[in-house]
This record gives sequence, structure tokens and C-alpha cells, in this order.
Amino acid sequence: MTSLKQYKEQYINQNIQFVLIDQEGTILESDQTFIELNLGDYIYELHPFFATYSAFLDISDETMTYNCVHLEFNEKEFITDVKMMKKGKLVLLVIYNLTGHYNSYQQIAQARNESIINSELVVLKNLELEERERFKNAFIRNFSHELRNPLTSIISITKLLEGSKLNNEQSQMVDFLKESNTNLKLLLDDIMSISMIASGKLQLRNKIFSLISLLELIDFTYRSKTNGGAIRFKMDYDKKIPEFIEGDRLRVFQVLTNLLDNALKFTEEGTITLNVSLNQKRANKVSLRFEVSDTGVGIPSEKTNAIFESFIQLESEGKKEGAGLGLSIVKGLVGLMGSEVHVKSELGKGTTFYFDITLTYALDLASKPIDRAKKKNPDISKLKADKKYKVLLVEDDERTQMVLFKTLMDTNFFYIDLVNDGALVFETVINNSYDIILMDVDLPNVSGDQITKLIREFPFKNIKKIPIIGVTANVFEESIEDYLSLGMNAVVTKPFDFDELLNTMVKFLK
Amino acid sequence: MQKSKKIVILGHFGVGKTSLIRRFVEDSFSDKYKVTIGVHITKKVVEVNADESVSLIIWDLEGTDEVQMIRQAYLLGTHGVVFVFDVSRPSTFQNLNRDLEIVAQKTPDTPLIVVGNKKDLVINDELQILLKDNGIKADYLTSAKTGDSVNEMFTHLATLLNDLS
Repeated sequence: MTSLKQYKEQYINQNIQFVLIDQEGTILESDQTFIELNLGDYIYELHPFFATYSAFLDISDETMTYNCVHLEFNEKEFITDVKMMKKGKLVLLVIYNLTGHYNSYQQIAQARNESIINSELVVLKNLELEERERFKNAFIRNFSHELRNPLTSIISITKLLEGSKLNNEQSQMVDFLKESNTNLKLLLDDIMSISMIASGKLQLRNKIFSLISLLELIDFTYRSKTNGGAIRFKMDYDKKIPEFIEGDRLRVFQVLTNLLDNALKFTEEGTITLNVSLNQKRANKVSLRFEVSDTGVGIPSEKTNAIFESFIQLESEGKKEGAGLGLSIVKGLVGLMGSEVHVKSELGKGTTFYFDITLTYALDLASKPIDRAKKKNPDISKLKADKKYKVLLVEDDERTQMVLFKTLMDTNFFYIDLVNDGALVFETVINNSYDIILMDVDLPNVSGDQITKLIREFPFKNIKKIPIIGVTANVFEESIEDYLSLGMNAVVTKPFDFDELLNTMVKFLK
Repeated sequence: MQKSKKIVILGHFGVGKTSLIRRFVEDSFSDKYKVTIGVHITKKVVEVNADESVSLIIWDLEGTDEVQMIRQAYLLGTHGVVFVFDVSRPSTFQNLNRDLEIVAQKTPDTPLIVVGNKKDLVINDELQILLKDNGIKADYLTSAKTGDSVNEMFTHLATLLNDLS
């Protein structure tokens, strides 16, 4: 029968080796438990670790322990604890073979360190992606901002051209020009929308509006667009849905028209359907499902996620119009409305996009305002026919100057003074008597918003009360709110429609 | 005559200490990360001039994010220290100057070389800005992967230690 002592020798003593060396490092004795050492050899020549014995001899400590030392002998590695003890003029080395124990620890340390490093790398990667996204959005914002000035000029000059004497061919060319301008403006608006959504700067402006009127407008628009073609447009809505709801009419319209335009782009023939159904009504909340279906080419299943990315277009029989922003805007806007857009599609049969949104609806219908499309034509009848209004145009862009100058003069209602430097505005305002100021914001020397602030702080009423209309390429809502808070009466963003500007002016002229 | 000099390689885990040694000693590199536990000791003889060479005994210490915790036994008899950080991981150099102060206290009067490793992972201009912003003065910027400046760094230290003795 095996004795306890034998077990001890088998399991413990096999892993502890005793070695005795002298002060020169010569091996005097070794019990050869797991490392074969030749007596008479220098221990530091067998492994560089043992060279440290000489440093041990130089200190006063009688014992020194080294944990987790990797020792290689005859191509075999041991992970050991090594204890050095001074024994008179000799040094006793006790080497504990803890390879198994330390290998387990190594696995734990490996998992822990990898996890920490991976977490750090994920954080760094996210920071990098955020930085890239910020840079991209800033670039897009600046780029589209810079495009607005020339586009304003192009639109305005086209308007002037349209009003001049043209032959048929020239009229047709102007029509093409107008359509291109509209497309370019819409594209710029799309780019701006996606940039604002991505940077979190787009905020919904919820107001009560007639959902039914909005749907009728869409119905009319898309029936007109598909009239006489191979595609039929069909709109249907549940009669139980409330007429008035509280939401951002413009953005609901943008989502639905983007989905419908997308359907038109990828459908050769068949039907495009907009369906609005009622999920449920509870208290003054209503959940609605909006669904746009087409009988178009369909989307491969592996691409149903990619279509919502910015600037992604699916190639389909040469149809590659647009910048690939429409669905990305839809995703962003529906997300802002607290929902998610879904897609079902079958190649060659068609696609359905749908989303559910919960909205507040007006219980007291009669008392709620109806948000109808505003009349666009300027109501110049409000202006005094026998009066010439004196306008100060503050604008440094020569093309915009020329266009505004000419279009305002053509109405026969205005005298116009022009200033193109922010530093000269205040003096001009004090020395003259203006009925209204059209104020660009990005001006040399002093910005338009700061001039406005100065004018509003002026002590004389006839100066401080002059209506000021900001004319700017900066379309950010927060910037516009800043301009208004500094004293501008209204802000018109470039590229603007001249009728829109005139309408705004009429509002403030006496 | 050949002198023997012990150097210890310190720094946070995953900064590439073992890879720098492997590049220097074996002229090889592996992308696979294997955590060092405890200490690995290797030796390489470096010629410092036509007549002299130094046997560098290199102690590759387990990486730690708390320099104060380094076992004093490992540092016994150290002639030179290399402190390595990873230029692509800010956590390894955010407290570098504090770490270096602790190392200097633990190994007084010992030459110390500061090394920013993994320079192949970052753009040089950005790296210079990063170092400046963090108030870091690295003696060497290395890449164990490409071998860039690795031999120069170890040879410089060997020469320095030889000159001091």
C-alpha cells in the first residue's frame, strides 16, 4: 500500500528543486528534481536569469523571492518561483515548478487583457467615426451654404429672364432652366436635411395641421405626375383617422413624397399606392400606419439595409437619378418621429415601405387652426400706390445685389440704396431714412446680425424701429432663431423665391 | 572584454514590449498577442564599437497599468530601463510622466529610455501633435512590426551603459 510520504514525494517533491552554488556561481549540489544540472557549471551560463544572483549577494537581504520566472532548459520551459537564500558563503536556490498553475493564470490574464484592449479599441474607433462624421457634416453644411448664393442669383436671373420678351424656343429653354433650378434647390435641401439629421441639429416643429388636406395634396400631385403614363397612382386612407393631428407637416410631407418619388423612380408600370390606416386611438393619441407600395423592380434582400444609407443608389436598368439621399432622409425623419421605417420587397414584383407613428390629435376640431398652403403671390395691394419705399440693401455678393436691385426696381415701389460693407451700414442708416433694410448676414468687417443688434439698441425710435429682413444662406434653425432674437423682423433663406421675399417685405412696410 | 548589463522593459500591457525584444533578438514579429505573465529573460550580445561588446540581459516584465505594483525583486541589479507605451492607445501614455517618476524612484540613478511603439499604426504628423498635446518626450518612436528604430534603440542603450561603466 502506498504511504502518505510516497504521495507527498510524488506530487510535491517532484516540483521543488534545491541547488547550492558558491559566490562565483558554480553549481556545487543539485537534487535534479526536474532540471538536470551539471555540477561545476556556472549557473548564470545555463540561463541568464541566474546572473541576478550576484546582485543578490550585494544587498543585505538574506532571502529574495522571484515569482513567475520563465526558465528554459533543454528546449523545455518551466514557469517557476525562485527563492535565493544566503547560507554562509554559499547561496541556496529553491526552484518551485509552478508551470501548471501559471499557465492557468496566463489564460485568465490573456482573456482579461484582450477584453480591455478590445474595449479601448472600440472606443477609439467610435471616436474616429464620430470625428469623421462631424467633419463630413461640417463639409456638407459649408458646401451647401456656399452653393446657396450663386443659386439665388441663378433663380432670380431666371425669373427676370422669364419676365422679358422671349420667343418660343427661348421660353422653352427658360422652362428647362427653371426645372433644373428647382431640382438643384431640392437636392441642396436634401443634402442639408441629411446633414442636419446626422448632426442632431434638425428639430421637428410640431403644429396642428389637417392630415386629410395633406393627403389630398399628395393625391393631386401624384395623380398629376402619373397622368397618362403606364403607372397608376392610388391613395387610400381609413375614414376613421382624425383630420387634425399635431405633427411636423413639412417633415411628414417630405417622408411621404420621398417614398413616393422613390417608388416612381423604380417602377416602370403598374400601381403605386399610398395607404394610411388607423392602428389605434387612445385618449388624444392616434397610431397611424403609412404604407407606400409599388409594383416596381424590387430590392434584393441583401440590400434592404444598404438602401437607407446616405449616397447609396441601387443600380437598376440604368436608373440612377438623384444623390441617393431620399430613403436616408426618410429613415432619419421617421426616427425623429420616434418610429422606424420597414421594407418588404420581392424582386420583380415590387416593394412596400411602411412605418407607424403615434401622434396627438385635436379633440376639439372646430377650434383648431387649419394649416392651408399659403398663398404665394405677393399681395402688393397693401402697398401705397403713391409711395416709393426706401430700401437699404446690405449685400456684398455682386450677383445677388444685381438681381435684387433689378427685381425690386421693376415693381416701381422702391428706391434702393446699396451698402456692401458691414462697417458702413450704421452710418448710412443714421444719415438716411429707410422704410426697410434687407440685411445679408455674412458681410465684410461687421456681420449683419451684429449690425441689427446695434440698430435695435440705438436710442432714437425712427432708427431702432426700422424693419430688418435678414437674407442669408445659413439655413440652420438655431442660427435663424439667433438672428430673430437679435432684432431681425424676419429671415429669408437663400436661395429664395422673389415672391417670398416681396411677401415678407409687404408684411413689414407701412 | 564583454560586460553584462541587465535592462528591464516596462510599460502597460499590450504595448509591444515582448515584440520589441523578439524583433531585436530574433528579428521576427508575430501579430498574435500573447500576454506575458511574470518575467521572461533573454540575452543578446551587442557590439558597441570595434573592440567592445555588451551582453544585454533583457528582462521582459509583465505589463501593468499600475507601475507602483512592479515587484522590487525584478528590478534588483538593473543597469538600464526601457519604458514602452503604445502610440495608438492613449490609455498607455495618459499618465506617462507620473509613471516615469515612479520608475525613477524605483530605479534611482539608472538610465531610462522612453519608447513610443506601434508607430506604424498612426500618421506621423498626428503622432507629433498627440505627443505634444500630452507633454510627452519620447526618446524613440519604434515599430516592432516593421523593425523601425528597434535596433537603434537597444544599441543606443547598450552603448550608454558601456560608456557609464
